[in-house]
Amino acid sequence: MTVKDSSLLRRFADRHGYAAVPLGLLVCLLALAAVRGPHLFTSDGAAYAIVSAAPLIMATMALTPIAMAGRGGVDLAIGPLVGFVNVGLVFWLIKSGVTSPLFIIAFAIGVSVLFEVVQGLLIAGLRLQPVIVTLSGFLVLAGVNLMITDRPDGMTPAWLTAWGTPTSVLSPATGVLVAGFVMWTLIARTSFFHNLRVMGFNERTAYASGVPLVLTRVGAHAIAGVYAGLAGVLYTAVIASGDPAFGQQYTLIVVTALLLGGISVGGGRGGALGAVVGAIDVFLISDALATFDFGAGASFVVQLVYGLILVLALAVGTVFARSGLRRRPRDGRVEVLA
Amino acid sequence: MTAEATSGPQDASKTARNDNVDDVICVRDVRKAFGDTKALQGCSFTARRGEVHAIVGENGSGKSTLAKIISGVFPADSGTVELQGGTPSSPAHARTLGVATVFQEVLLAEGMTVFDNLFIGAEGPRTRKGPRAEQLRRVAAVFTELLGEALDPYGLVDDLPLSMRQWVTIARALLSEPRVLILDESTAALDHSGAERLYEAVVRLKAAGMCVLIVTHRIEELTRFADRATVLRNGVDVGTLEGPQITQNRLLEMMTGDTAHFGEGAATAALPPPVPQGERAPVVRASGVRLRHGAAPFDLDVTDGEIVGVIGLDGQGQAGLIQAVAGIRPAAEGTITVADRKGNELRITRQKDAADAGVAYIPGDRKLEGTFPNLSILENFGMPLFRTQRSGGVIRFGAVQKAFEEQRAALSIRLNRPSAPIGTLSGGNQQKVLIGRALAADPGVVVLNDPTRGVDISAKHSLYDLLRRLSSQGSTVLFLSSEIVEFIGLCHRVAVFRDDSLFTTLQGEQITVDGVLAAMFGQADGIPGKEKELGS
Repeated sequence: MTVKDSSLLRRFADRHGYAAVPLGLLVCLLALAAVRGPHLFTSDGAAYAIVSAAPLIMATMALTPIAMAGRGGVDLAIGPLVGFVNVGLVFWLIKSGVTSPLFIIAFAIGVSVLFEVVQGLLIAGLRLQPVIVTLSGFLVLAGVNLMITDRPDGMTPAWLTAWGTPTSVLSPATGVLVAGFVMWTLIARTSFFHNLRVMGFNERTAYASGVPLVLTRVGAHAIAGVYAGLAGVLYTAVIASGDPAFGQQYTLIVVTALLLGGISVGGGRGGALGAVVGAIDVFLISDALATFDFGAGASFVVQLVYGLILVLALAVGTVFARSGLRRRPRDGRVEVLA
Repeated sequence: MTAEATSGPQDASKTARNDNVDDVICVRDVRKAFGDTKALQGCSFTARRGEVHAIVGENGSGKSTLAKIISGVFPADSGTVELQGGTPSSPAHARTLGVATVFQEVLLAEGMTVFDNLFIGAEGPRTRKGPRAEQLRRVAAVFTELLGEALDPYGLVDDLPLSMRQWVTIARALLSEPRVLILDESTAALDHSGAERLYEAVVRLKAAGMCVLIVTHRIEELTRFADRATVLRNGVDVGTLEGPQITQNRLLEMMTGDTAHFGEGAATAALPPPVPQGERAPVVRASGVRLRHGAAPFDLDVTDGEIVGVIGLDGQGQAGLIQAVAGIRPAAEGTITVADRKGNELRITRQKDAADAGVAYIPGDRKLEGTFPNLSILENFGMPLFRTQRSGGVIRFGAVQKAFEEQRAALSIRLNRPSAPIGTLSGGNQQKVLIGRALAADPGVVVLNDPTRGVDISAKHSLYDLLRRLSSQGSTVLFLSSEIVEFIGLCHRVAVFRDDSLFTTLQGEQITVDGVLAAMFGQADGIPGKEKELGS
């Protein structure tokens, strides 16, 4: 093994080692899915899975840069924000006859970036607590959504409906996911992203070393806005209407996916890989549970299982890290056994 | 990066005042207050390109504040700071003006690799500066220059000892290719040979035209290579010495404003207090102790009234003994017992055992182990008393207050009001509060973990006096220090550690700087060694 190879491997381990437990969980869940719902492994089933999971994946990716920026930043407003994009698109744009894909996507990204930048400025500029700012954002948007419409209604243009119809694995939803992932990979190569991680790990060090804190944190929120907007478009495609009540539960599911993805809300640790894996984990859990017959209590059982798996995953991750399985003191460096 | 920031058109007033083009830092009448504490009260100095300029002063004299103002961390309340090209308004701006600072606190982002930590903030917002291979080459070059060997760039900083972390912050500063390098107490975390290497590097940088600002209270080394030294006292510059004028006694005189007390040979203390003669049972007993699995076992007995110095090169296990006696981190194998005042021997396996046995622990790393910066001075002081001084679950603040007043008078702690946050005190005074906290419980054994790091000379001397007093009252003292001089005339014995085990114990006339140093480098016979390959 050459020096270069080992350093590449180690760089990968340092950067993505946090995702070891989420990936392990993914393998378990895929095994469970193979038993309980083998339809997921057919081409139709996979197409359905991608379309259904895509909004959640995008929303989880939206939370990732904010969580990585540290200060315990979890954007609680993410659910209502995706919901706002949904009702905004359906009741403002589409109802007034705007159906161009370009306009719709630009609107979706535009409003959510705007919203996130405002949140970011409040958090970074005025140094308000993230939980207060995003809880306020949650309440405001949840209210606004219900002001726009008090019940699910409306319809979507043909192209958007087609996006939400699972026909092939290579659907537009897949395209959006790939684009989102590629965009992340590009961002992750910038020094902006490096500064973001440093800030998440240690804000004092970052400041003293000349990292522009406000700019970096607002930047994290702006990136979150892009992904939240795309999540809104994909979600609108799936339900093919506008639903004002959507979003309040969704926040909890997205946060669950974020944490299951091994992304530290303490800052620094995380990435798109974790976000995607975490979101798929959440999707597979709910899909597997749907194959059981829990009757009227099904949704409660799903929440219960989310909670249990979340605690279990974090506990396993912690024990794993402490037991020295993952971190052997070999010249003091991180090794991932996976 | 710095070139374009400085080559732009300057406004006329600025260039007119900088009549000497070599003046890279121009500080005029800078004032800065933190709440009630006035850190700087009108401080001025100039530093030129291609010189090593020392800023010296006691703790609380404002030198670190001055360094932080030049680095853009704090804005000055009044006065001007001019670097060629402007006044730094933030660390990021200072950086574009060509200032790189190694702060007293070892600032690293834990959880990230050495490589990641080296390039924090060093690049523009869009792309990495240069390809990775080029960066790696520069990293290797800088570490080879500083340490004589390359450091694994993809290791996590968490796994490095404190001294290596300090080297990482130094390398980070150098990698930004500054015109002004500020070293704020940067030798504090380095051992003796590490400090020497840093000073060698400083001399090379100076020759290359850099302005190196060394902020320190460790004046012994400065006399050899500082070109000029500006002395601060109580937030005011009391004078600048040049070249041969820079002598230890002259600096001490100016720092303290006290010529009588720091005459010839004042750095060494008087004789250690006599230890009562006769057969006495040991108070602290370590038997068959291994600090880590695989390390050699050792025994150590310390009796009452004894002051035992504990030392070793960086990370050789000396802190392990201190922490084991204090019950903070138990030894891997073996037993440590401490006899309480009644003579009962208690085995120490956790912190509560140590507290029950009357062991007081005084930490050196105030930020990490000592203080709660947001709580008041009184609350920081009373922390352990809250458990004992209470009736029916309610804290008797009167008793705590009384104990505080006693210690404040005994240790002459300087403060405005006890309800102010402890962060408003200088390092030395914070340390005194911690010492007072430990002594208020009337301990039989006092364990100190490098308590004089970052503390000025007069605070040191009052600590030595205090330890002597404790010793003559029959207390047992274990005193870990990184500076050998502190042991001379103070300690009855010095325990030298190597490879996580007790290497040798020196006593009486064996306790000399050369003797202890030789033992630290592994020579039991006390002959100073020449080789220094064991550096870190």
